[in-house]
Amino acid sequence: MKMKKIFLYIAIAAFAVACKPELDEFVPSKGDADFSRFVSLGNSITAGYMDGALYKTGQEFAYPNILSKQFKLVGGGDFAQPVVNSEIGVLPGKMILGFKTDCAGVTALSPLLQTGTLDGSNVSYTVNNLGVPGAKSFHLLTPGYGSLNPYYKRFATNLTTSKVIDEVSKVNPSFFTLWIGNNDVLTYATSGGAMDSITNPAAYQAYMTNIIAALKANGAKGAVATIPDITSIPFFTSVPYNALVLKDINQVNALNAAYHPVNAVLQSFGLDTLAFRLGANAFVIEDPSSPLPAPYKFRQIKSTELITLTVPRDSISCKGWGSQKPIPHRYVLDNAEINAVKSAVSSYNATIASLANANGLALVDINKYFNDAKTGIYFDGIKFSSAFITGGLFSLDGVHPSSRGQAILANYFIKAINAKYNAQIPFVNINDYPGLKFP
Amino acid sequence: MNRKFTLLLIALFASTLVKAGGYQINIQGIKQNGMGYIGTGFTLDASSVFFNPGGMSFVKTKFSFVTGVSGVFANTTFQKIAPSVYQANTDNPLSPPLHFYGTYKINEKISVGLGVNTPYGNSLKWGDTWDGRYLITDISFHAFNIQPTVSYKFCDYFSIGAGFNYMTGTVSLSKMLPVADASGEGKSTLEGNTSNFGYSIGIMSKPTPKLGIGVTYRSKIEMKMEGGDVTFKVPAALSTNFPSGVKFDAMLPMPANLNIGISYQVNDKLLIGADLNYVFWSVYDSLVFDFTPNTSSLEDSRNPRLYEDAPVIRVGAQYQYNEKLTCRAGAYFDKSPVKDNYLNPETPSTNQIGLSLGASYKVNEKLNIDASFVYLMGLERNAIYSPANFAGTYKSVTVLPGIGISYNF
Repeated sequence: MKMKKIFLYIAIAAFAVACKPELDEFVPSKGDADFSRFVSLGNSITAGYMDGALYKTGQEFAYPNILSKQFKLVGGGDFAQPVVNSEIGVLPGKMILGFKTDCAGVTALSPLLQTGTLDGSNVSYTVNNLGVPGAKSFHLLTPGYGSLNPYYKRFATNLTTSKVIDEVSKVNPSFFTLWIGNNDVLTYATSGGAMDSITNPAAYQAYMTNIIAALKANGAKGAVATIPDITSIPFFTSVPYNALVLKDINQVNALNAAYHPVNAVLQSFGLDTLAFRLGANAFVIEDPSSPLPAPYKFRQIKSTELITLTVPRDSISCKGWGSQKPIPHRYVLDNAEINAVKSAVSSYNATIASLANANGLALVDINKYFNDAKTGIYFDGIKFSSAFITGGLFSLDGVHPSSRGQAILANYFIKAINAKYNAQIPFVNINDYPGLKFP
Repeated sequence: MNRKFTLLLIALFASTLVKAGGYQINIQGIKQNGMGYIGTGFTLDASSVFFNPGGMSFVKTKFSFVTGVSGVFANTTFQKIAPSVYQANTDNPLSPPLHFYGTYKINEKISVGLGVNTPYGNSLKWGDTWDGRYLITDISFHAFNIQPTVSYKFCDYFSIGAGFNYMTGTVSLSKMLPVADASGEGKSTLEGNTSNFGYSIGIMSKPTPKLGIGVTYRSKIEMKMEGGDVTFKVPAALSTNFPSGVKFDAMLPMPANLNIGISYQVNDKLLIGADLNYVFWSVYDSLVFDFTPNTSSLEDSRNPRLYEDAPVIRVGAQYQYNEKLTCRAGAYFDKSPVKDNYLNPETPSTNQIGLSLGASYKVNEKLNIDASFVYLMGLERNAIYSPANFAGTYKSVTVLPGIGISYNF
């Protein structure tokens, strides 16, 4: 039938048009910047350190490496990393998620140490990713730092004389990212304030001024990132201050009885006494600043104070840590230390913002983004937060970002770079990056 | 009254209806399809059972039977919000909806009729690897409707009709879960079926032989799904968080529809008409899932939808070309009820413009072969599902070819 044929033709024609509705594709552009020679300077996060190690797959997810792939869409060149040919790392410490049975016989999901062949061998080529795990601001300016740091050692031009900042000139960058300063407070903080010290903010300003001057020596443009409030990372928030849960009234009575004589002394000094009840209780911690003589330098932890992720759980569960014995100070960040960290970070960030402004650099306010993430933030259908393991932003060491956390960082850099240099660099899809693997 | 329905089904209803005569409603009558889906303000044949129960009394013959089948080819393209080069397309399996209507004129006053159709049936497949997979990967539902109907003609220019709807539906909804093991990412699937009663009433008036005015109202129905099955594929380590045997309850209101239609027989050959559909979507405030049992990873969820009432404006005409051939054409504009900040890719609703053509070939005095073709353009739309921060531009095209027969004697 003729009419049927006409309909058939119309139908076929329409299908051809209909099958795929066309939308304008996004057109990337480099704006006012030149990404052909890109160098990235920073610490472990920049290097791609995650899960307690610098290992091959983690390196691939380092935000500078992710950025370099996006830069390639707008004329960026190759980006070399000091590749570690091991999934375990340069040094032992790599963690995977598994099951662990504690001293009390309770089996739970937990990060476990993964062992295997390490690779700390040197690389002979020029590297673009100058992220050095462990580096503080001034380390980038320290001659011979390669002899002190096993990561910089791998690509240092000269072990005894080179500085990390010297490696920049080998790339002769047209564009750089700089994110340094986390370790200037972190090393102090992760040791519970017991070891190391915080870099003086005035000195930090001088170091940063020099570093940026060196990076800009040949007119490079770039982006510089602020330092996050590290007290919100899982390393400090995973063990609650009141995780001493007492279920047995006899235990409660025994503890109260044991601390009864001490409480009398504490009262005479006008200090808070120790008290225990059924349910959640604040841990007992060592307090070196207590006016009492040893062995009475202890108290219950305050709700605003923090316990590190590294505190031995078995010692809490089975050896009376935090109840019969105080938790050693190296596992605790007390209020005075928290204030010292926050004050330094605040000064550093003022320095970073002012130097970015003075040097015409894009400012990536990672500190603000970390704060946004504290209570949870959605990207592309997933809720991310600072929570350990379940939050998705951090890897198993509780300090360094996960692969998706790195992708989110990359997007924040892109956002700031696009705004500063009128560029149109595409974001990456966070969901393209693997999440944590469960057993 | 036991009113059960799959929430999801409902959600889909929402989307389909929103899509206006969206590809669900558009396929309920081959002749009406060809005329921009108007059908409230005039009577052609037994399809009035669905389009305006009041119009059944105006069917000229003692018996009228209509049946047809349509193809639904729907495609949506997604461009992620700038700056991004990411695009995705839906892969929608063909679903061939059927309809059947019959009327019997008992006497000059009373007619009875029966409608059997699949008013809401659809599949949408984004795939397991697309960027929005944690919101939706695929959704499919099929509803089957039986509608016994009666009409009463008060006089030559006024009649009313009413019908009961009995619908059964099945639904399946899947999304990925952001937890992975060595074998890949987790996935959840919700499946269920239920049934539901509703009603529709219609008034048909012909103040002059040439002028037709009709009003149809379809009831709001609170649809309830109880004990639907939830299936999880998750890493072994999380099997206590996502246990097997989880059930879900959900409830969703299916909004009332008010259709007002007008038609005018310009001359022996030409009929023109227009419909205004008003869908009371604002009752669709949120989609709530009540899981049993709950776990730390599986809390009851309230998903805001915040739909707004939406109108659909339709115009159409039919022209009797010669003794054998009748041609039809129509167009409509369908406003999306979804707000810009609540557009979930599970229901990628956009404003739509529909263009349609149709024709009937008269084989003999009793038998007609009907064909229709609808081209539905989902207009480009920038939107976000802000509860999960998923944003981009959506655009869709739906093609609905249909063929059927009508037999009147």
